[in-house]
Amino acid sequence: MIIKTADQVSRFTWLKRFPIPRNFNVTLESRIEPGRAWPATAGAIRKKAFDIYRYDPDSGRNPRLDRFHVDLDDCGPMVLDALIWIKNNVDSTLTFRRSCREGVCGSCSMTMDGTNWLACTRFISDMATPATIYPLANMRIVKDLVPDQTHVFAQYAAIQPWLRSKTPKPEKERLQSREERSQIDGYYECILCFCCTSGCPSHWWNGDRFLGPAVLLQAWRWLTDSRDEAKDERLDNLEDPFRLYRCHTILNCTRTCPKGLNPGKAIAEIKKMIVEREG
Amino acid sequence: MDIKSIAPATKAPRPRPLSPNIQIYRPQLTSVLSIANRITGIVLSAGAVGLVIWLCAAVAGPGPYAIVQHAIGSWIGRIVMLGLTLAFFLHMCGGIRHLVWDTVHGFELRSIYISGWSVVAASVALTVAAWAAGLYLGGWL
Amino acid sequence: MNRQSFRSPLARAIGLGAAKRGSQHWMAERVMAIALVPLTLWFVASIIAHAGSGYTAFVSWLRTPFAAVGMILLLIALFHHTALGLQVVIEDYVHSGARFAAVIAIQLGCYGLAVVGIIATMRIAFGS
Repeated sequence: MIIKTADQVSRFTWLKRFPIPRNFNVTLESRIEPGRAWPATAGAIRKKAFDIYRYDPDSGRNPRLDRFHVDLDDCGPMVLDALIWIKNNVDSTLTFRRSCREGVCGSCSMTMDGTNWLACTRFISDMATPATIYPLANMRIVKDLVPDQTHVFAQYAAIQPWLRSKTPKPEKERLQSREERSQIDGYYECILCFCCTSGCPSHWWNGDRFLGPAVLLQAWRWLTDSRDEAKDERLDNLEDPFRLYRCHTILNCTRTCPKGLNPGKAIAEIKKMIVEREG
Repeated sequence: MDIKSIAPATKAPRPRPLSPNIQIYRPQLTSVLSIANRITGIVLSAGAVGLVIWLCAAVAGPGPYAIVQHAIGSWIGRIVMLGLTLAFFLHMCGGIRHLVWDTVHGFELRSIYISGWSVVAASVALTVAAWAAGLYLGGWL
Repeated sequence: MNRQSFRSPLARAIGLGAAKRGSQHWMAERVMAIALVPLTLWFVASIIAHAGSGYTAFVSWLRTPFAAVGMILLLIALFHHTALGLQVVIEDYVHSGARFAAVIAIQLGCYGLAVVGIIATMRIAFGS
């Protein structure tokens, strides 16, 4: 009942989804059809069912939900291991991003059992039966579990995520005390997996103009970096009823961050800094 | 020969589907309390309109006032008032939680969950206390 | 290609640029919220204390200067907070051109109702 860290999976789920019609606000091309039931491999004793979102852009069909049965004795402990097992043993067309398999690259972010996390750090034993795997929520889908992240990365570029200086560059390094360096702790570690942005209801409804928690956390990272000299322009660029103030402190972001970061707190710090400069 | 036969118009490519969001995302304490704060706010806006109606009835005289009081006192009126009371305490306790967040305190996940459950418990307790006091002082209890 | 727009993703993300305002709206909502905590608690406590009493008791309570001032402050803070809050709700969910009209309607409605409530209170407080 009391969640202490984001990797805690609640043992009991009160509600799997909000009690609204299944196709509420879903456009025709996004409606999910019932999909294929793939047979289990022969000789599998410990099996687990996985319902996985599939979309083939070349087929001209709508997305569908396929059911696979994974042999748990032949497969590693993480959800990413299950996806790789399915790709190797059942359906080689299953498409998903992955790279480091240790939770540091941010490639395999997806919605598992209704919450966003990295597939390589989510235990299969923590998943419901059947386990449901959807691509990252509220993203345009290229294929299967691969989201089109063009827009969210464009929003990231829009905040100018680099050191901006006005004074001439120093002879050697830009000096920073230990205390000043600790100010970016908890913000520089973001791997841009976009789990937080994808889980933010405000970004669902206003994602075209609201920057979202990932981008705003990075905006704070640059605002709080003592070596940066463009705080004024950065705050000017953020103060907007949509870019920043669509955040209503819903805090789905902090709940879902697979690196344990706190975008909600970063956004609150930005709002506080804006108020500070007004008087 | 017109251009259409040499260069037939291509169909607009199929737009990429949008992955489901609220249709499949799990309701968590964070999002549920947030939408509850919003819903109670909207309900209280209707209550504010009711407050003005009540004041206007009082200005109009004892007759209109009695009509409004009778409506409030009916069983459906009481259910509405109970709902309004619960909505009020939920919105107030949730609002105080928001004001604390605005000072950049209480953002650790553990604090978010403890404060969240406290808001729910406090709202229910305050509603029960308010109604108990009201029913007792009004002579109905 | 048959895309509807060839605008770059960065241009789409930047949009029309930042409005460079929004903090006053945010701050005003919170200032009104802070004011509303004692005002609403006082109002609810007064209602409970006068539960079951009739018209004359209510009118003589509202005639006391403390209650009259409290009620007027409550109406001002309540409707200002309501107007700001409902504006945010409409901005969140309404994306068509109807948004401007809806926000204006909410503002006019809230401040109009506030004035009606204040006049009603004053008429009771200063009336015979």
